[in-house]
Amino acid sequence: MLEVKDLKKKFVKYNAKRKKEEFYADNGISFKAKDGEIIGILGPNGAGKTTLLRMIAGILEPTSGTISFGKLDYLHNEIEIKKNIAYLSGNTKLYNTLSCYELLKMCGNIYGVEESKLEERIKEISKKLNMDSFMYNRIENLSTGQTQRVNIARCLVHDPKYYILDEATSGLDIISSQIILDFIKEEKKRGKIILYSTHYMEEAENICDNVIMIDKGIVIKEGTPSEIKKSTKTTNLRDAFFTLIGGVSNE
Amino acid sequence: MSNLGNILKKELREMFRDKKSLMMMLIIPILIPALVIGMSALFEAQTNKPITDYNKIGFDYELSEMEKDIADNLDIKVISGSTEELEDKYSNGEIDLYITKDGSIYTINGEDNETSTYATSLMDTYFATYKEALQTNYLASNNINPTDVTSIITVNKDIKETENFYGNYIVNYGFLFIIMAITISATYPATDTTAGEKERGTLETLLTFPIKSRDIIIGKFLSVSLSSIITGIVSLILMLISLAYANGSFEIYKDTNLMLSTSSLIFAVLVIIAYSLLVSGLCIAIASKSKTFKEAQSALTPLTFICFFPGMIAFMAGVSSSPLLSLVPFLNFTLLFQDIVVGNIDIVNILLMSLSTIVIITLVLVVIIKQYKSEKVLF
Repeated sequence: MLEVKDLKKKFVKYNAKRKKEEFYADNGISFKAKDGEIIGILGPNGAGKTTLLRMIAGILEPTSGTISFGKLDYLHNEIEIKKNIAYLSGNTKLYNTLSCYELLKMCGNIYGVEESKLEERIKEISKKLNMDSFMYNRIENLSTGQTQRVNIARCLVHDPKYYILDEATSGLDIISSQIILDFIKEEKKRGKIILYSTHYMEEAENICDNVIMIDKGIVIKEGTPSEIKKSTKTTNLRDAFFTLIGGVSNE
Repeated sequence: MSNLGNILKKELREMFRDKKSLMMMLIIPILIPALVIGMSALFEAQTNKPITDYNKIGFDYELSEMEKDIADNLDIKVISGSTEELEDKYSNGEIDLYITKDGSIYTINGEDNETSTYATSLMDTYFATYKEALQTNYLASNNINPTDVTSIITVNKDIKETENFYGNYIVNYGFLFIIMAITISATYPATDTTAGEKERGTLETLLTFPIKSRDIIIGKFLSVSLSSIITGIVSLILMLISLAYANGSFEIYKDTNLMLSTSSLIFAVLVIIAYSLLVSGLCIAIASKSKTFKEAQSALTPLTFICFFPGMIAFMAGVSSSPLLSLVPFLNFTLLFQDIVVGNIDIVNILLMSLSTIVIITLVLVVIIKQYKSEKVLF
């Protein structure tokens, strides 16, 4: 079980007159995720999705609010929590000079996977993601699709309980995107909690159990895709979102 | 393996597989033999300038037999002519100096340059010899034993040459170059592992790992330090090889042993390690504040000068080491190297330098670890 309570994140920016201005990227976000659930975090660019997921992944520190992973929280169990998380974003970059094998080995060691099980685990993942042909190639020599498979492999190597995927399919071709979507579905079956942020509403509608729609740092709607469509009297999440924000503005 | 070990392994793999990092590690060390041999050749050329390069002297008067004998003995090639002719010849470089005479006043004419300095020195000897000969003749013609006057006092020179000027100069310069090599070697990997990691987007990945900031920073610090230490040791080895070659090849080092004693070598290695650790910590601290590789390199440029110039100025000004100066970062390393060159090592100064370095490194690492604990490192 993952629980986020009244999570806020304040940033400081400079306005045109070079004066400091505070603003909340996320302003009081709460939700719960049960085992085997895919939670879609939807919203336009700048809605606060990445900040929210970065806080949950332990990269950013919340200004206020709490994040609980079962009985664990970041204040007391940061390393223990991070051992059970896999974070993958569209911007996640890998160490180019390492080979796929070296990267997976390093990740396995860092996440504390036992040496005796690690080799077996890497072989298993390599077979699953069809990586055998480039397992010993340096990452800098791989195609975008192959790199994304290595990224997924990196997430799988320590068999985490929680997956935090931020715009993971952004900019990928249809085949690479499908690899990620298949991987998400499979991990759901294994009882993992998956937070999946995207601005592709159709994609979210297909795979998410629950959806949290965010705009300007606040939750504007929460529920299953069918509940949201029903309550907004629309036929898809895209229309539902526009109904909720009152149409497209130039802001 | 601990997470510190994992980070160190990753950093070393990245560093040793990066051609630019390797190049920066070795570019200055390979210049050290050129510096030692080139400067030795230059010193030797200046010290042992062949007399034929500066012995063509013009005279605007007819030389007496006595003057001709003295000129012959001193290997002076006499060129006679009028003042105007000699001026022209001097302008065309046919003669190295010319002498004009007005009664008993002789004037050495020329321009201030290296050749005229040597030629003037030669003519000083010529005129001193000529003057002494005239004085001897004068005394003899007045029935005075010349030796009664010329030997009225006797001055003996008993100056023992304890240090070889050129030898010390070249070894000190070698050590200054080692400092420069270490600084440059630390700059690139420190930039790459901090600002470079941020720019490439791998820092976010690193921060999601279950690793303490302390392990991340110490891993990075150790890898950059290792690169600097390797550069320092390679530089030292190349310096010793080139000094051994120069020692046997140049006359200026005759009867001098340029090689360092075993204890001096041990202390030199110790100072190299201390300097590498300090400069690596500072480079990481400065570079980690930058957002891009380019920004970090600009920020590190002043450090390159700060590392090199205090030592250079101290060396030029003849500043000696003292317990107080051993606490001053950057200056202390150069002063200790100077002590090592002359074999005059004070353990107290070494200990104070080590203490000062450890304190600075600890403070720097605490600041960077704090920075990596904060999300500000991402932005």
